[in-house]
Amino acid sequence: MTELTIALAGNPNVGKSVVFNQLTGGSQHVGNWPGKTVEKFEGKLNFIGRNIRIVDLPGTYSLSAFSQEEEITRDFIKKEKPDIVIDIVDAASLEQSLFLTLQLLELDANVVIALNMIDVAKEKGREIDAKMLSRLLGVPVVPTIATQGKGIENLMIQSINITGRRKKKERKRFPRDVSKRYEYIHSIVKKCQKETAVGRTLTERLDSVLLHKYAGYLFLIAVLLLMFFFIFELGDVTSGYIEQVVYYFKQNIPPEISSNGLFLFLWKSVVEGIVAGLTVAIPYLIPFYIFLAILEDSGYLPRIAFLTDGLMHKMGLHGKAFIPLFLGYGCSVPACIGCRIMETEEQQFLTAFLATMIPCAARSVIILGVVGAFLGFGWAAGIYLFNILVVFLLGFILSRFIITKPVGLIMSMPSYKMPDISAILRRTFLQVKHYIFIAFPIIILSTFAINALDFFGFLRYISDFLSPITVGLLGLPSIIGITLIVGFLRKELAVVLLAALVGTENFSEVLTPLQMIVFTIVSMFYIPCAATIATLVKEFGWKKATLVTVFEIVLAIALGTVASKVISAIGVL
Amino acid sequence: MVLEKKEIEEYLEIMYRKKQKGEEITTTGIADELSVSPASVSEMFKKLEKRGFVKLVPYKGVTLTKKGEEAGKSILRKHHLLEDFLTLFGLGRRRAHAEACALEHALSKEGEKVFERAMKGAKGKNAKSLCSLRAGQKGRILYITGGMAARRRMIELGLPPGTVVKVLRISQYGCPIELLVRGTEIAIGRGIAEKIYVEVIE
Repeated sequence: MTELTIALAGNPNVGKSVVFNQLTGGSQHVGNWPGKTVEKFEGKLNFIGRNIRIVDLPGTYSLSAFSQEEEITRDFIKKEKPDIVIDIVDAASLEQSLFLTLQLLELDANVVIALNMIDVAKEKGREIDAKMLSRLLGVPVVPTIATQGKGIENLMIQSINITGRRKKKERKRFPRDVSKRYEYIHSIVKKCQKETAVGRTLTERLDSVLLHKYAGYLFLIAVLLLMFFFIFELGDVTSGYIEQVVYYFKQNIPPEISSNGLFLFLWKSVVEGIVAGLTVAIPYLIPFYIFLAILEDSGYLPRIAFLTDGLMHKMGLHGKAFIPLFLGYGCSVPACIGCRIMETEEQQFLTAFLATMIPCAARSVIILGVVGAFLGFGWAAGIYLFNILVVFLLGFILSRFIITKPVGLIMSMPSYKMPDISAILRRTFLQVKHYIFIAFPIIILSTFAINALDFFGFLRYISDFLSPITVGLLGLPSIIGITLIVGFLRKELAVVLLAALVGTENFSEVLTPLQMIVFTIVSMFYIPCAATIATLVKEFGWKKATLVTVFEIVLAIALGTVASKVISAIGVL
Repeated sequence: MVLEKKEIEEYLEIMYRKKQKGEEITTTGIADELSVSPASVSEMFKKLEKRGFVKLVPYKGVTLTKKGEEAGKSILRKHHLLEDFLTLFGLGRRRAHAEACALEHALSKEGEKVFERAMKGAKGKNAKSLCSLRAGQKGRILYITGGMAARRRMIELGLPPGTVVKVLRISQYGCPIELLVRGTEIAIGRGIAEKIYVEVIE
C-alpha cells in the first residue's frame, strides 16, 4: 500500500507539537519550508501495517496567507493535498478554534478533528458532545488529551478509516461574511457545548499573581535571571570542558609534530574553527532551546509579552520582542534564533538586528576586562547604558524603515500547561543538529580564512591598510586593527590577542583611558561574530546578513569616532 | 471615459488586494475574479501600463508600480469607509459591501473627508475606544478603524464588529489589555485597542 500523508493543523498553543511527538516518537526530522524561515517538522509512523508520513504544519488562526505560517499551511493543503488533515482543536476555546476548521473544510481537505485538552475544558466548566459536533460538521471528531496520550490511537484509527471510504463530497460552503460566519460557529458551539459555572480556574489564579502589576514583574525578573543563569552558567561550564578536552588532546601530540608549521596552521584553522563553533554556540544553544520551549509550552511566553509590551512598543516592536533582546546579553546566536517568535519576517529581522548589537557575554569580557578593570565600574556601567540608548534609538529609527506593515500585539492567552519534557528534548536535539549543518561550515571557513591570512603574514598589511580608520578616525594604535579582525571569530579573543600583541595585560601601559573607551565601543558594535553571522544567514539569507554586518561596521566606526572626538573635547578623561 | 475610470479603479483595487495577500497578479487570476476573458484583461493591462499604474511581466501578468499601489490603496480605503459607514447605520455587511463597490468610484477626496467626519460624529455619541474601558466592563464592538492588516487579524481572532468582549485585565501601563472573547482569553496591544470602538453594555 502506498504511504499516507497526514498533516497536522491547528491554532498555536493547542498542543499540536505534543500530538506530533506522540505520533512520531523518535523518527522525526526537521528542515525549513522552502524559501521560508519557518521550521518544518516531519516524522514517520507505522500504524497497523500502514506507512504514514506526518507533517506538522505551523500553528495558525486562519488561512488567509497573512503570515508565512498561514501561507505555508494553505499552500501545503492546496497543492500537496495530504490524504488527511488532522485539525487539532482546543476544546477549551472551541469557538475560536472552529474558524480555522471551517476554512480547512472549504479547502476540500479530508478533515479529522482532534478535540484536544478536554481536561482543560472541563476545568473551565465546558463539556463538549463530540458526536454532536461530528454530526454538525460532517467529519469525525475524536476527544483527546495529548499530554497523557489519551485518544491518540483512536485518532489514527478514525483517520485511516476515512481514507478507506473516500467519497466525492460536495464542496462545503459556509457563510462568507465574517460576522455571519461567527454566528454560524456560535450556533454550532451552542448545540454541542454544555457550560457549567465553575470557580476560578488554575490559570486564573496563577494569572492573578503572574500578571499582577508588581508581583508579575518580580516573577518575570526572577524567571529571566534564572534563564540567564541556566543558559550561561551551564554554557560556560560545558564550554570550558570542551576547551580542556581539546587542550589535553593537543598536549599529548608529540612535539616534533606539534611544532611543525603546517600542523599548527591546520590545527588553528580547522580544529580551532570547530572548537570555536562548539564552544561559542552549542553549549549556549542547547539550554536556550530547552528553556525557550518550556516558556512556550507552559504558556508563560504570552504573559511575558503582556508584561513588556508597553516598553517594546517604543522601539517599533511589541512585547514578544523582549525575550530575544534580553537573550542578546548572553549570546547573539540564540537571540537571533529566538526572533522566530515574532509574527512577520520584518519584525523578526528588526528584532534580530537589534539583538546583535546588545553586548553578549564575550563583549562583556571586553567591557569589564578593559574599561571596568582600568577605569572603574562607573565607566563600564556607562558603556552598558550608552549601548541601551543606542539600541533603543536605532529601534525607534529602523522600525520606520524596516516595518512596512506594523502588527500590534494580538495573541491568545492560553491556559497554563505542564510542558512535556521528552518532547522538548527531542525537538531540541533536532534543532541543534539542523543548526550545526548550516552554521558550522561558515564558522570553519572563516576561521580558516583568517588563519590563512595570519599564516602568510597578511594581517599586518590589513592592519596597515585599516590604519586610516583605526589611527586616523578612532585615534587607536595601528595594532588594534588585527585584534578587531580576529574578534570576528570570537569577540573576547580581541582582548586576549591585544594582550599578546602588546605583550602585557596591563592595558593602561599601552592605551590611554580614552583609547580604552573607544576600543570598547567599537568592539561592542563593530561586527557580529562569525557564529552570529552564520545564524543570520540561516535565518534571513545572505543579503540581510551582509546588510547587518556592513551597517554595524559603519555604525561602530561612526560611534567610535564621535566618542573619541566628544570625550576629548569635553576633556573628562 | 467615465466607464473606463470605473473599470481602471476596479482593476487597481483587485490588484492591490492581491498584492496585500502576497499573491501574484496574473492575467488568468484577474480574468477569473472579474469574470471576463483573459484577452480583455491583457488589453487592460496594456492600458494600465501606458498610464504608469503597472509594469508588465512577460507571460505572467503584471506588478503594481508605486503609483498603481497608491491608487489601489486609496480606492480600497474608500471602499472600507463606505462599507463601514453603511454598516454603522444598519445595512447588512453583504449589502453594504455591494453598495460600497458601486459608490467608491464616485467618491472624491473631499467627499471622503465628509464621510469620515460624519462617521466620527455618529460614532462619538456612545462609541468609546476599547482602551478606555475598565477591567470587568463589557462592550460590543461597533467598528474598527485603521489598517487592513490589523483589521483582518482581529477578524480572524474573532473580533469582527458586533462581537461582545469583556475586559479581564489591563496591564499597568494602560495597555495591553486582556479580553474574554467567545470563551477565549486574548491579549491585544494599545495600538490595536485604540482602533477598536465599542459601546459599553455592562
